[in-house]
Amino acid sequence: MRAPTDRDLVRRARRGDREAAAALFRRYWPDAWRAAFAITGRRSLADDVASDGFERAFAALGRFDDGRPFGPWLHRIVANRALDLLRAERRLTGDEPAETADDAPAHEAGDRGLLAAVAGLSLERRAVVVLRYGVGMTPTEIATALRLPVGTVNSRLARALAQLRAALEVERVD
Amino acid sequence: MSTELEGRLEGLLAEAPEPDAGVEASALARALDALPAAGRRPRWLRTATVALAALVVLLAIAAGSLAAAGALRVSFGERPAGRAAPAQLQLPAGAAGVLALVDGRLSAAVRGGFRLQGLPASAAALSPHALYVAAGVGDSLVAMAPDGRRAWSRPAGGRVVAIAWAPDGLRIAYLVRSGRGLLLHLVWGNGTHDAIVDRDVRPVVPSWRSDSLALAYVGAGGRAVVYDLGHDSRRVAGRAAPVTALAFAPAGTTLLVATPDAVFAGARRLARGAVEAVGWLGRRPAAAFAAGGGAASVRTLGRSGRPAERVRVRGVVLAIAAGVVVTRTPGRLLAVRPPSSVEPLLRLQPAEQVNALAFRAR
Repeated sequence: MRAPTDRDLVRRARRGDREAAAALFRRYWPDAWRAAFAITGRRSLADDVASDGFERAFAALGRFDDGRPFGPWLHRIVANRALDLLRAERRLTGDEPAETADDAPAHEAGDRGLLAAVAGLSLERRAVVVLRYGVGMTPTEIATALRLPVGTVNSRLARALAQLRAALEVERVD
Repeated sequence: MSTELEGRLEGLLAEAPEPDAGVEASALARALDALPAAGRRPRWLRTATVALAALVVLLAIAAGSLAAAGALRVSFGERPAGRAAPAQLQLPAGAAGVLALVDGRLSAAVRGGFRLQGLPASAAALSPHALYVAAGVGDSLVAMAPDGRRAWSRPAGGRVVAIAWAPDGLRIAYLVRSGRGLLLHLVWGNGTHDAIVDRDVRPVVPSWRSDSLALAYVGAGGRAVVYDLGHDSRRVAGRAAPVTALAFAPAGTTLLVATPDAVFAGARRLARGAVEAVGWLGRRPAAAFAAGGGAASVRTLGRSGRPAERVRVRGVVLAIAAGVVVTRTPGRLLAVRPPSSVEPLLRLQPAEQVNALAFRAR
């Protein structure tokens, strides 16, 4: 049997169908959480951000234009929530939030140099990198999600990639 | 065309860890609760609801009259307030500010419109007139101004676990978890002149005397200690231990001290029972005791310790402050203003922990 489309699930959820809403949640939760984790770099924050993102999205389901895709809309909410929280934390403490041992990314056997380089990007660049490569959104979708011009997204991506290349070059020389 | 770096990025981010199943279940419950209500109720049900509400109002007025006439016992019954609890922290009527730290996320609402939601924090407190919020953020102590901007921040040298702002607003006491234990600090309200007062204290929120010249905290031995700022001296207040909560009177010098099974005013025992919270309702000391069946009994206590008033409230009492009893029921945080006002403050998930609460009256 054909799986229901996002549009079907959104319409049913709007009418109060909790099973449809739960199906929509399960379809997008892993990606939303990973995106939140990749932006925040902390498991505890990712839990909060992804959870808040879904809560806000479901509360606003009545206003969602179901002619548009659900995924990018949800990821926009999650990415913006992550950026808001990190900016607030940075603004309040005056520093980039320090990672504790408990919160450190769990890439034990992964590409540690690249991971460190991604974590070293500014919030704005990190977000577009995560949405582009982690979530698989196109620059146009990212631009819609973050309410930015497509040119800004492309330039942030290009600069982020250049910064990552430079960081990895230093790593090779070292 | 995809470069080697882009290929590596795709591989790296795909390896992000999996979310915890418990977190997913809790997030799903929250998300489903946030769904908009579907459709309007039928007309007959609305009519019945209005009639029931009118009956409840009449009963509340009658109960209030009895209480005013000196009846000792007022009960809110087993039914909670009918209104649904809000997803965001609500400022109750008559309050200047309210703050809640739930599962390490700080929410605050103050009368001037300042609203904060979901900031990761380890401890928090409101300034005396609820114009500022002090919070432990990362390993810093931060004061936030009414517009949400940082007024100041200073490194705390560890996780801040409790904060108490002096009634005159000029000093803040805070506890910091260091490698060996808990330190009690005092800092001026503008974030300068930080000093350590005690290097080994218990994790109980300190309480300020109404004149802001003395501070009660729980020392390493588990007893209440009063630190006199003017003389830089300390004295142990009573023999009760282990002290679980402290509350100086809003006027005067009486210190309420709670242990797990009794309440003391200084050295004098006022009442026995399984204590949930202590505080002041008006000028009277008050204590909440577990009453079984998911309810608590809140008593205001006379000089001899005899209950002057006794109010039964639903749920677990988390705080008594500024004339308000804050309780937690399954799914909700409520502000109970004896004898008969109950306002939902916030929707809670069963697994969510309330780490700190603050309430300021106008």
